[in-house]
Amino acid sequence: MIFQIESVLIFGTVQGSVLALLALGFSLVFGVGGVLNLGHGAFYLITCYTFYLIHRVLYLDLITSIIISLIVAVIVGAVTYLALIKPLQDSHIGVVIVTFAMAVFMQEFVKVIADIKPHYIPPFIFGSIELLGVTFPIQFVFVVIGSLTLVLLIGLFISKTKIGKSIRAVSQDREAAMLMGINADRILMITVMISALLAGVAAILYAPTYAITIDMGWSFLLSAFAVTVFGGMGSTSGCILGAFIMGYAKTFFSVFISTSFATVFPLLVIIVMLLFRPQGLLGKKEV
Amino acid sequence: MPKKIRRVLYNSRESFKNFFLGVPKSTRNLYKEIPNQVKSFKEWIFTFRGSLTILCLIGTILVPLITQDDYIITILISFLIFSIFAASWDLLAGYTGQTSFGHSAFFGLAGYTAAFLVKMVGLHWIFSMIIGASVAVLFGLIVGIPCLRLKGPYLALGTQAFSLILFNLFMSGDLKDILGSTEGISGLPVMAEEHIIKFFYILIIMIISFVILTVIVKSNVGTVFKAIRDDELAADASGINTTKYKLLSFMISGFFAGIAGSLYALNMRAVNPSIFLVLYSFYAIIMVALGGIATISGAIVGAFIYCVVLSELFKPLGAMGTIFLYFPTLISAIILVIMIRFAEQGILKPALEHLREFYDFLLGR
Repeated sequence: MIFQIESVLIFGTVQGSVLALLALGFSLVFGVGGVLNLGHGAFYLITCYTFYLIHRVLYLDLITSIIISLIVAVIVGAVTYLALIKPLQDSHIGVVIVTFAMAVFMQEFVKVIADIKPHYIPPFIFGSIELLGVTFPIQFVFVVIGSLTLVLLIGLFISKTKIGKSIRAVSQDREAAMLMGINADRILMITVMISALLAGVAAILYAPTYAITIDMGWSFLLSAFAVTVFGGMGSTSGCILGAFIMGYAKTFFSVFISTSFATVFPLLVIIVMLLFRPQGLLGKKEV
Repeated sequence: MPKKIRRVLYNSRESFKNFFLGVPKSTRNLYKEIPNQVKSFKEWIFTFRGSLTILCLIGTILVPLITQDDYIITILISFLIFSIFAASWDLLAGYTGQTSFGHSAFFGLAGYTAAFLVKMVGLHWIFSMIIGASVAVLFGLIVGIPCLRLKGPYLALGTQAFSLILFNLFMSGDLKDILGSTEGISGLPVMAEEHIIKFFYILIIMIISFVILTVIVKSNVGTVFKAIRDDELAADASGINTTKYKLLSFMISGFFAGIAGSLYALNMRAVNPSIFLVLYSFYAIIMVALGGIATISGAIVGAFIYCVVLSELFKPLGAMGTIFLYFPTLISAIILVIMIRFAEQGILKPALEHLREFYDFLLGR
């Protein structure tokens, strides 16, 4: 029993940090542009496969392949914004359909460049650690440390730098920010690139612990969406809090009840939150 | 027939007309005077749209009859089934403005129900189809209630969540005894011995579905749907119970998606969890985008282009190697982007306009 609780604590932290990275980018893009990016899972997917191709097929070393795959992720984000989101910004449904098509495109593209079989990426350092009587791979340490560092850095970036302040300004009032001389389109592009970077980092840190498959983008998109609804749409702190709560809850259910219930859990969260607290945990009430 | 019964019948017919045509008794005469309004089926056949529809219908009936080719019939059957599916998406997304990306949930759930009933219970396929569609209606109600809190893009993701969850549930081994996990249910009895008879069954169901959908869209209810899509706040302010109508839209759309899903499973004689994949929702969306959003008949055009024209064009690609097997979806994703970006109207409306000019020219107007 105690052993199970300890494993829930450890695996929940890992899950929570990955979810935090994914949901933070997703929620940032929504907060700044009011755009719901269905291609968010595709960013994760494409980074995983780029990393796999460079590291495992071309046999480049770890640091180079990480840097190249992150650059690819950011470029994909920028192209998504310029080609798909920017021209259709006024029609919300248009953006959703187009990013959805982008995600389907990426999934099929990955089928073409790799194949439909699951692939494995080796962890950064082989081996395992024992903590509180639970044995887990060293990669999990990288996941938690990397994720927490990046979330902190992004928080600092948003609160301290000039671009970060512009991001906050645009998310509060787009028109007023534009009147103050902020190029709102450029800010949204930077935000989409940041979200792609976050999804990419999550992919690189987390992919070596599991097999990568072609359709995993959708389930990560669903988790990011559930966390965003749970924590409050467009609220950064609520998003991180929600991510960790979701991570612990998911591992709790998969340890104590069943894994299929754990997959249904995000949906239950969405339904319950929408019925009883539509604005989310820390979200502001819509006027 | 006794006079009383006749009167009751007449009254019920009139109230039915009022419900669907949405014309109060006092203004009905005014309504009749509108010149373009068609009074009877005979007149409708000789209008532009009517003659075109009849022509297309005759073509669809004659081609399999003349060729007797199983391959052509198979392709046409998939076109018929997907046109119902696309039209159901169009009713929900195009008319009511509730974009759903989880339409494969309705499709798959009904397919599983129909397959289960036909295989395990031994029901006739028509009843299994109707029960499957009813299950989809119930599911639409269940999806609709929480998702009505969501607006626009959020609804899209919320509904997609449902289909993903169903996919995971049906994939998981926990329910292996009933649902058969990854293998699904296979070896269903055939709908009809002859391919061509199956084709005509499905054609009749498709025609009935489209007539009902068109009646709904042209009726009062359809106008309310459009009002909700254009301005929900204004619709609410004019005394429309938007929640009720949105739920109604979910249920109607779920019913027809369910019919399509059941037919798909019965036609394939097998069903597995991949029916819940996002890809099937994608098919519906691209067909509607090709034909034109918010035109029920556009779904037929879109389904025809996707299932018959495009798949035939892509066929040589698949033969070139396994890598090219994935190109059709890849290219259609690009087509979808281009359609939404540059031609949001779709193909049907501009094509109809050009045809109309030609038609007028032929009649010498």
